[in-house]
Amino acid sequence: MKKIIIALAMGIAALSATAATSTKFTVNGMVCSFCAQGIEKRLSKMGATKDVFVDLKKKTVAVEAKDGQVLDAKAISAEIVDSGYDVVKIETVLQSVAEIKGELKSRK
Amino acid sequence: MSMGDVSPNWQEVFVNYALTARDAAGASALVMRSDDGTKTRQFTEATYTRLAKRWNMPESQANIWFIGGIGNITGNDFFGSKTMASPGIQVDYETTRVYVAATARLYRAQGLNHDFASARAGFSFYEVDYDQTQPWFILEVRRMRGLTDKTEVTPMLRLIHNRYFVEFGVNNASQARMNFMYIFD
Repeated sequence: MKKIIIALAMGIAALSATAATSTKFTVNGMVCSFCAQGIEKRLSKMGATKDVFVDLKKKTVAVEAKDGQVLDAKAISAEIVDSGYDVVKIETVLQSVAEIKGELKSRK
Repeated sequence: MSMGDVSPNWQEVFVNYALTARDAAGASALVMRSDDGTKTRQFTEATYTRLAKRWNMPESQANIWFIGGIGNITGNDFFGSKTMASPGIQVDYETTRVYVAATARLYRAQGLNHDFASARAGFSFYEVDYDQTQPWFILEVRRMRGLTDKTEVTPMLRLIHNRYFVEFGVNNASQARMNFMYIFD
């Protein structure tokens, strides 16, 4: 029994270590294609950014970190605010941008 | 960003460079003609655009823009060129499906008054992802002093795709009209 618990714990730890980490921002005022492109362009230039996805309808901006790097949510939030929009919620999730994209699209 | 507004009585090209998220400097060249074709104007100006106020709401955005311009105007009914000032204001409200805007701009030079006002309202036919082409119906009403006593009404089809924006329509004088905009990387 003890061996099974240790194996399970190791498996979960390994899974967590390899899972992609993304940060999701809920953004007010982001209503047009040009808004989305401007945000995507600015966030893509940030060093730790691997991928960016913007969903206008869900008011969501998702940013995935490069392997082994940590996203600076405050700096990303500042970039979005500096672009002219308001960040109202920030959450970190163990999902890739591709997974978030799939999830949001399936809800439409 | 580059923009154009082309019809028989109004041809304008405009280039704008964003200095910050709220400020842009630009240059514009505008050729105007009276309805009967007897009076013409050529106006080149340097412009400054400032986002004076923005309201970000969960499903919408509203803005107040200040537009300032100064340049030279020439015409076929006076000699030489005159310095023209063109301050203006625009207010707009937009969601992913609805767009409303009103613009007022003074075009003043010594002995000339070509003040301009326009209103636009429209809706998108359906929702799309931002990287897909979105079609809109837009109705524009505009009027300018000194060259025409008519109000121009133009229903237009607007298409937005990535960095491109185009509008096509035919106004109430049966003249074709085309607007475009391109956002540089």
